[in-house]
Amino acid sequence: MKGKQYSVKVYDTSVEDEEKFISFFEANFPLFKDHLIVIHGELSDKVRDYLTRKPLTFVQDVDIPKARSQKEVEMDLETQKSAQIEHQKRIEEQFAKLSSRLENNLRVIDNMIRSGQELNIEGDLLLLGRVNSGATINISGNLIVTHVIEGLVKGYGNFMMVSNSPKATILFHDREVDSSALVSKLNKIEIIDDEIVITQVLKGE
Amino acid sequence: MGIVIAVISGKGGVGKTTATANLGLGIALNGEKCVVVDFDIGQRNLDMILGLENRVVYDMVQVMDGEASLPQALIKSKVNESLSFLAASQTKDKSVLNSEKVKKLLEELREKFDYVILDAPAGIESGYEHTIEFADAAIIVVNPEVSSIRDADRAIGILDSKSQKVKDGEEVNKYLVINRIIPQMVQNGEMLNSADILEILNIKLLGKVPEDKGVIDASNQGKPIILDEKSLAGQAYKRIATRICGNSVPMPDIEAAPKGFMKKLTGMFK
Repeated sequence: MKGKQYSVKVYDTSVEDEEKFISFFEANFPLFKDHLIVIHGELSDKVRDYLTRKPLTFVQDVDIPKARSQKEVEMDLETQKSAQIEHQKRIEEQFAKLSSRLENNLRVIDNMIRSGQELNIEGDLLLLGRVNSGATINISGNLIVTHVIEGLVKGYGNFMMVSNSPKATILFHDREVDSSALVSKLNKIEIIDDEIVITQVLKGE
Repeated sequence: MGIVIAVISGKGGVGKTTATANLGLGIALNGEKCVVVDFDIGQRNLDMILGLENRVVYDMVQVMDGEASLPQALIKSKVNESLSFLAASQTKDKSVLNSEKVKKLLEELREKFDYVILDAPAGIESGYEHTIEFADAAIIVVNPEVSSIRDADRAIGILDSKSQKVKDGEEVNKYLVINRIIPQMVQNGEMLNSADILEILNIKLLGKVPEDKGVIDASNQGKPIILDEKSLAGQAYKRIATRICGNSVPMPDIEAAPKGFMKKLTGMFK
């Protein structure tokens, strides 16, 4: 199928007073001769004759898609663009987060953390010892503890992996985790849809 | 060169001083030259438990400050020749201690004795830190209850960070003595059992001492319970002292409920 696309100028009006209408078009004929006249409402034979005779192209009671003003178009483009940038940013952020988590030198500590000791870790940590009552761990990244936790752990990563630790005090992104639910061999703590979710990774005690 | 062993607990009142007195005497009974030093400056009572309170003329602080010589200040035990005692000052407070003085004193004692046992003050302040700073090993005394375990855990943490040996890249050996065990309560699950305590503290077990009413009377009289052959606590201390001297002694399960003839009989009618 073949077709052509071009823009036309539309004059949108209605007939209120026939005399005035005809005299207006008579006076402004040079201006309107290339326009498409859209008339809403009643159209008498007299006016129709006049328009056909002149000749002026006209249609009656038709909804012409309205072109938006330049300003509106620009604003629309702008919001689209900023949304795109936002989206891009979010993806990049997530990616950066992930890659930094992955590369952020995972630390491995093979000691127990005794009462009164405080660990402040930037990045990820794999802890192979106990966290005794009275000990504190602050960690910006992900945490995996393979032994019992009885102290306080504050984590800000994507997830925490802890063993059976019903006596622990655990804050994940400053929200208290119900440690009585940490009863299986290995439990994963994460936030899904703004809720803390605990999943059993390894079953058994 | 003798070895320096600090007796620590973190929490007060768990039987640290009693353990020090009994183990010191126990080591001496094994024929080793031993000195017990009271580091609880300002609150000395090791002299009373050893029955030497009237004999204290010069104290540790005076030796460190050069006001008295070490032989002048050392007190020989009435019970056993091999045991000596160095008293804490009762008039000063722990702020008089400093690392240099403590180090010098311990070096002198190390030359004269096989075992130097230090009775640490309760708590984890400077007095405690000075006691453990130059120790080769530590005996941690705990009671089977959570507050004692937590305080001991904290004390071990400080030991692991402040000790000179650790700073030099070596390890301080840590041994656990569980004191005042009441077997019946452990059986009923009302008292922590030793497996739980060892799991939490993660150090080697040196011995278990049962609760024994005789300990109070023995302390009051200045005759350490280890001299009482019949006392269960005394026997336990004897075994621990022998282990410290490097001899292996079987560890009876004192947490099991005592089952005598009468017990068995009454048990049948339950």
